[in-house]
Amino acid sequence: MMLRININEALESLSSAKQRTVLALIGIIIGIGSVIGMISIGEIVKNQALKQFEDMGINIITVSKDYDSPNKMVTFPLSGTLALGKHVPGIASVAPYIVSGTQFSHGSKNAFIDMLGVTQSFFDICKLTVREGRLISDLDSYRYFCIIGSDFADSLQKSGTKNVLGSDFKFGKRIYTVIGVINKVSEGGGMLPGGLNKGVITHITTASRSFEERGINTFLARLKKIQPVPVLQRELNHYFGAKQRGLTIKVSTAEQLIEGMGKQMRLFTLLLGAIGSISLIVGGVGVMNVMLVSVTERRKEIGIRRALGAQQSDIQSQFIIESVTLCLAGGIIGILLGITVSYIFAYFAKWDFIVSYAAILLGVGVSTAVGVFSGFYPAREAARVDPITALRGE
Amino acid sequence: MLRLIDIHKTYKVGPEEVEVLKGISMTIEKGELFAIIGPSGSGKSTLMNTMGLLDKPTSGSYFIEDTQITYDDDRVISTLRNRKIGFVFQSYNLLPRKTAIENVGIPLVYRGLKKNEIKEQSMEYLKRVEMDKWANYKPNELSGGQQQRVAIARALVGNPAIILADEPTGALDTQTGQEILTFFKQLNEKEGITFVIITHDPDIARQCKRMAELRDGVITDRQRKVDR
Repeated sequence: MMLRININEALESLSSAKQRTVLALIGIIIGIGSVIGMISIGEIVKNQALKQFEDMGINIITVSKDYDSPNKMVTFPLSGTLALGKHVPGIASVAPYIVSGTQFSHGSKNAFIDMLGVTQSFFDICKLTVREGRLISDLDSYRYFCIIGSDFADSLQKSGTKNVLGSDFKFGKRIYTVIGVINKVSEGGGMLPGGLNKGVITHITTASRSFEERGINTFLARLKKIQPVPVLQRELNHYFGAKQRGLTIKVSTAEQLIEGMGKQMRLFTLLLGAIGSISLIVGGVGVMNVMLVSVTERRKEIGIRRALGAQQSDIQSQFIIESVTLCLAGGIIGILLGITVSYIFAYFAKWDFIVSYAAILLGVGVSTAVGVFSGFYPAREAARVDPITALRGE
Repeated sequence: MLRLIDIHKTYKVGPEEVEVLKGISMTIEKGELFAIIGPSGSGKSTLMNTMGLLDKPTSGSYFIEDTQITYDDDRVISTLRNRKIGFVFQSYNLLPRKTAIENVGIPLVYRGLKKNEIKEQSMEYLKRVEMDKWANYKPNELSGGQQQRVAIARALVGNPAIILADEPTGALDTQTGQEILTFFKQLNEKEGITFVIITHDPDIARQCKRMAELRDGVITDRQRKVDR
């Protein structure tokens, strides 16, 4: 009951000093806004990265050449890699690939794009699906067929190519026929080689003949069941060591990647927490200042209320509630601002927008705490006002 | 009703101590219309603040309705002030942001009454001071006399034991002042409400049932019965 009256009271008195109220709010809005915005963006990034694992599953590993290995020139042998499933128990399927940057010229347009040479198994492991035409199959060995990413296809269509499918384009020194377009994949932070949506894919045998970079440095593998990294590493080193002298390998699992991301997120959060805390302290001091001015201005009112029977604790809670109301108003505006910023971020990054409810809760909690903290001292001053002098002074 | 026994009050002004009340003893009975008269600086405001529990005497005892006042707990003192005392000030002391009816309701807010109860009772008291038509006006939209009526309603609303009025007519013209005083007299006679009026104006004091004169912190003229 008292609380509701006090909240009305607070709103009334805050709106009677609008300019001052708004100025005090700016600090809180920026503080809460930046914290909420950053947390939301962090959530969006995390969500996006995890989505890839959801698509692909987490029983995927990336095996890459250890660049510190004794023989730097050596790469994975294609047939040996493809036969891995037969020799190493626990490996279900493998997808070696070659990546190479390639010049692409089309009309007046010149671009540098990523080209990928893959086997048929790549599409299955990466869960890539076809939007138009068909995927590359192992029967396309040594043929200049390619499939392209959805963004690339869209941009070709925009620049005047009506039928992308079946058209010929020159990538590097060779001309390829487009036989398919793949559906958009979620990118960033996962296991997939980057740039698939804007890139071109051909068969690995074609790639080994025409790419500037022809060695296989990396392959993906799907495990039958999740195994510890050291075991995998030992088995694979044993296998490849016998095949290719001087080749050592490095394994990274989905789990490792997720864990690494978690570490990064924690660091990120800590940094943001620090920035947010500083701006909130500054905002809190602003609110405290406004509240102190308000107490000084309303000494007479305090005197009258005391004469009419207000206890010191009534006066104190009135001013604390006023300060909390002020900070909560700032907090709510800040939360909206932060969410808007993260929405804009997600929109331009073309990532899924999610609202982090934990962040909203945190925003409300923190702004309440700032309100109590910065209202406490002014409220105590208000409660200590001597009613006699307050009533006497005009 | 109110009993003061040998009340002393000393203020520290810089290094010096100034004794404002020098042993005041007096009794005010229920249903009295009592005037305390004295020139400025005589200590009458301090006396009223002491009676109104806003100030704590340096020594002496004070009883309200046979309860001796102890000054160590703000909650107890504030509650007593809320329930037993109604103040009427020279400068009305209404809260400028609040309407007449809201101002009247403030003492009830601190009793923890419900909103509609507060509104109902405030309206009832506004009617008694004939200000119900002005319930939703703010103080600066009312004349001095009207504001003082609202302040009186506010003093009455909690049904206190006593109304303390500090120069209630001081800011009003003679005619309006007289109206307010007449109103006090009516309330006193018809409803038996106890009033203590502090004033420097002998004309006002003369209209009260009983008066005491305060000079330099002592009562010089002993609470004589005013002939009427």
